[in-house]
Amino acid sequence: MKPEIVSLKVNGQVHQVIVTPNMTLSEVLRGPLDLTGTKQGCGVGQCGSCTVLVDGTPTLSCSTLAIAVRDSEILTIEGLSTGDRVHPVQQAFIDLGAIQCGYCTPGMILMAVALVDENPNPTREDVKEWLGGNLCRCTGYVKIVDAVMAAAQTLREGDCR
Amino acid sequence: MKPFEYLEPATIAEATQLLSSHGEKARILAGGIDLLPRMRAGLIDGDYLISIRRIPNLDYLECDGFNGLAFGAMTKLRSLETSEALRSNYRSLYDAIHQITSIQVKCTGTAVGNLCVATPASDVATVLYSLGARVEITGIDGDRSEPIETFYVDAHRTCLGQGEMVTRVLVPSPAPGTQTVFLNLVKTHADVAKVSVAVAVTVEDGSCRDAKIAIGSVAPTVIRAYKAEAKLKGEELTPQLIQAAAITASGETRPISDVRSTAGYRKNMASVLVRRALEKALRRASDGSTKEENR
Amino acid sequence: MSERLSIIGKSMSRWQAHEKATGAARYGADVKLPGMLVGKILFSPHAHARIVNVDTSKAEQLAGVEAVITWKDIPPEVYNPNKMNLMLRHPEGEIKDTQVLTDKARYVGDRIAAVAAIDTATAEKALELVDVTYEVLPAVFDPVEAMKPGAPKVHDFADNNVPMHFDFPFGWGNVDEGCGESDAVVEETFRSASNHICQMEPCAVVADFSVEGKLTIWSPTQHPFLVRRKIADLFGIAEGSINWITPHVGGAFGKYSGFCVEPVCVALAQKARRPVKIELTREEDLLSTERRQKYITTARMGVRKDGSIVALSENLIVDGGAYYTQNGTTTNVNIGSFLGVYRHPNVAASATMVYTNVPPTGGVRGYGNHEATAAREQLLDVAAAEIGMDPLEMRLRNVKHAGDPSSTGIPMETCPFEEIIKLGAERIGWKEKKARPKGTGSKRYGVGMAIAMDVSGAQPFALQQSNAFLKFNEDGSVTLFMNAPDLGQNVTGTMAQIAAESLGLEYDDVHVVKGETDSALFDSGIHASRGTYQFGNAVIAAAEDAKKQLLERAAKTLGVPLDDLEIKAGRIRTKSLPRKWVSVKDVVRGAIYNFEGEHLQIVGKGSYSPAENPPPIHAVFTEVEVDCETGVTTILRILYVADSGTIINPLAAEGQVEGAIQQSVGYVLTEDYVIDAKTGALESSNLNTYKCPGTLDMPDIEVVFYEDAPVPSGPFGAKGLAQGAICGVTPSIANAIYDAVGIAITDMPATPERILEALGRASVTAARN
Repeated sequence: MKPEIVSLKVNGQVHQVIVTPNMTLSEVLRGPLDLTGTKQGCGVGQCGSCTVLVDGTPTLSCSTLAIAVRDSEILTIEGLSTGDRVHPVQQAFIDLGAIQCGYCTPGMILMAVALVDENPNPTREDVKEWLGGNLCRCTGYVKIVDAVMAAAQTLREGDCR
Repeated sequence: MKPFEYLEPATIAEATQLLSSHGEKARILAGGIDLLPRMRAGLIDGDYLISIRRIPNLDYLECDGFNGLAFGAMTKLRSLETSEALRSNYRSLYDAIHQITSIQVKCTGTAVGNLCVATPASDVATVLYSLGARVEITGIDGDRSEPIETFYVDAHRTCLGQGEMVTRVLVPSPAPGTQTVFLNLVKTHADVAKVSVAVAVTVEDGSCRDAKIAIGSVAPTVIRAYKAEAKLKGEELTPQLIQAAAITASGETRPISDVRSTAGYRKNMASVLVRRALEKALRRASDGSTKEENR
Repeated sequence: MSERLSIIGKSMSRWQAHEKATGAARYGADVKLPGMLVGKILFSPHAHARIVNVDTSKAEQLAGVEAVITWKDIPPEVYNPNKMNLMLRHPEGEIKDTQVLTDKARYVGDRIAAVAAIDTATAEKALELVDVTYEVLPAVFDPVEAMKPGAPKVHDFADNNVPMHFDFPFGWGNVDEGCGESDAVVEETFRSASNHICQMEPCAVVADFSVEGKLTIWSPTQHPFLVRRKIADLFGIAEGSINWITPHVGGAFGKYSGFCVEPVCVALAQKARRPVKIELTREEDLLSTERRQKYITTARMGVRKDGSIVALSENLIVDGGAYYTQNGTTTNVNIGSFLGVYRHPNVAASATMVYTNVPPTGGVRGYGNHEATAAREQLLDVAAAEIGMDPLEMRLRNVKHAGDPSSTGIPMETCPFEEIIKLGAERIGWKEKKARPKGTGSKRYGVGMAIAMDVSGAQPFALQQSNAFLKFNEDGSVTLFMNAPDLGQNVTGTMAQIAAESLGLEYDDVHVVKGETDSALFDSGIHASRGTYQFGNAVIAAAEDAKKQLLERAAKTLGVPLDDLEIKAGRIRTKSLPRKWVSVKDVVRGAIYNFEGEHLQIVGKGSYSPAENPPPIHAVFTEVEVDCETGVTTILRILYVADSGTIINPLAAEGQVEGAIQQSVGYVLTEDYVIDAKTGALESSNLNTYKCPGTLDMPDIEVVFYEDAPVPSGPFGAKGLAQGAICGVTPSIANAIYDAVGIAITDMPATPERILEALGRASVTAARN
């Protein structure tokens, strides 16, 4: 198995990375690209803390080969904010107590971003269903759902970036 | 993960050629949702991963009430879930996919990939058994078509030979008057089912013209409860008959105990779920509606 | 509280929430150092085996491997990983039975050897090359079997695998006589679940000797100063030359009370002479880090017809796994909690600790109180049913009041159990719901409740000390130095609120430096819900100290008496009118850039050791529906009413309770730590088989805080909250199931399989109204 140089487009930037085929996307993000915001909670796709968006699609980076997504646009949590300006979803998480230890937070936030893109007016049930594959051990999910609902409203009202 | 060669064929012919030449050491990579975690855990070996992501025209979905349902090897579970036509024509298949909780899994994972894992706990496979699905296979020696019941040989074993891959799945259009119901029992919503049941019941004037009962997680493969089906065919669907059929269906199971549940519970629940699924099908048939119901 | 508070009681933003929301927050696994190696541990595949030989030569020769260690490379000390023992005046009960790397495997997952290599693949390859010769021994997995003569001996010194048995020396009265006088006596045996807290971040530790004469450790431990001492003792390193850093921690909930993998990591770093990071996989974390003890609790309660409890006792068999770890301290807490909530004239308890060849246990949320409360509250409902009394009324009849001793024996300043029970009862509609028909179809409705009492620290049993210091910066802001680790519970933000309120500053004017033993003062660590109550009081003391210096300077500047001054929103102003004022910033700057020979860097230092132990208390009400054909329990609603005195940050407090509720739902219904009865291997080895509740598994939750009983000894009237917040939830769910189906489910988790089996045994098909 030979290492090869692969172009990965992450958060709008193209990186030339040396990868072997058996490297997962999360290993490459957290390793050579030093984007440690994407977490590794289980390695088997069950906790959702490794979630990133690949061409806008929620994707478990621990169960994705880096080499397989070399033509895609990858968005990690680091790419969501620009400078001091955070995405309304991030702001809602911060304001509404949706973050405790923070380990599940990047995955939750990216899932929420994907949700409001697809469904700008979700119900609480919609939000719970959408986040069903993301585990949290600190919050009981209540304020996470609150935050997503609030962010969706903010975005609908246009008070955003 | 152990090292492997990563190959990206551009056509099905190329893919089957690679499968054939590398034999048992080669694996198809579609979504990777099941394969990659298993490889990481050392449960599966694969020296060659043959990705079919870039082969064109594999992610299609065609569905209407006349021609039935057809989907390709790269069709995502999410595509199936969001198809209005699928939902109205194959309610049980929609319900089975919808209750797969992780959106990420459904966005990346393919239905065919799910089937090829060949676990009897696949909700999708269970439903397809009750719908009379066929699995279309392409190999270096040509194409063939297998009914889903013979696609599976044993737990984690399909009938695919060396150099063969699944290219699509065909599901016939349900006969008029058919109600399809899916029920399962899970520990948490995001868990694999302890036991699943899918029924397709064709009711005419209160009597059962046809019935297919499929049960998952109660044998090395999904099973059809043929004896129970035979009890129902041609008969009026009374509560007593439904109960008797459910008990017969349970008798056709041979579940094991594992980390998720016990053999006794699964056997018992097969009967309960078959009964409830048949009752639900009958209720829908007499309602004449397809309105939302609680599971 | 006579003064109006401007920051206490407000949901101020959490400490470093922004960093967590943007991915900038660094957890243990995110730490990267130049030259850092990957450390991996070789875990035993056998539940019980003597290690005849370990040949590390091939592993050492593999290119990229910098160190391979076995027990031979580590100081031979046998210790106990429990840090709580360092805080006991008389730690005679501490049993030392653990080695950093063992020479005898006692569970599948025991730590045999470790390697440090340039990357994970090389480290994994090196582990495969470590050649271990095992002499496999018979193993025992059940505590009752383990106590029988002839059972395999887990530790040579423990006859019948019992390292410790004790009869609780602080009982009173005579339980047998009390039961004799009772109108009804009930006895049940409860089997708690062996449960892993499954925090979201798998354990990760970094050890670094790069700087000459210094060891730097990044670890999620809850007790940096205490584990630092343990590491110092183990490795013969001076404590002062160890800097213990707490990165962001992805959940702890008590499981980091002791060591996780720090000693192995330090040993590897020492041998390799390069920094080493050990990042456990989820499988390794589930397998070899501490989880809940399994208690077999035989509990007995004697009651009179009027509902008064005459006698209460429990006898425990404690299956703590292959090593003693925290079994002593958690069991002590269990017993104290069990006997500490109600008034009753006769009590007794005993505990038998047992070794089994299963993964070791430790201190997990509740710390023994959880299982004690579950047993007692379920037993009470059984007793209430026996005498035909409403279990809520029975609780009101017996519950303690202010002035009574808490479960720690210290008299309580406040204890509004009656108020919170009644508040909850009204809110949920207890009377109406209890009288509601259970249902006649396959679904049965049930409503249940439970109460619990926890602590604001481990006093009087253990050393509890907090020290805070803060300095005023030239811009008038304050930097607070604290070490009590923030595990996501926002202790840091809470302390900033307390400091700001005490000093009369804005919340954003308080910066917090957290996490290093080098730059903070000794603290007993985070456990037993002591953070807010104890560290908060230390912060107030430090604030008062600094405030005094500040006001003295301001009094001089303004030419007014000291007692006429107060600080509000960053201004030092006179209380009397017309107001004179000067900004904090100007006073501080004037003290630092002082050309009059009166330079002063204002530093406040405060210490706190508690005399009181005000208990947080709560009452939980749960509604369920049980499907009697499938055994599936659906929780409809959970109402949680708590008294934690003043709530400093409502959103944060609610969030903690909501999380505790999730953990209880998982404990009762879905989480099952399954060990193979033949091999001792962990069957529920990752998250696909160890199932924690997700969004769709959670019921509607309502959390209500009763704030009419601020605690006089607490910072702004606050006391503990969250450590024991899980305790009352578990039995409230179990009691709701009991109400629904008429059978007390005494084995946890109350899976559908168990419920159905219990229903079958009882042949109950009719509703119990």
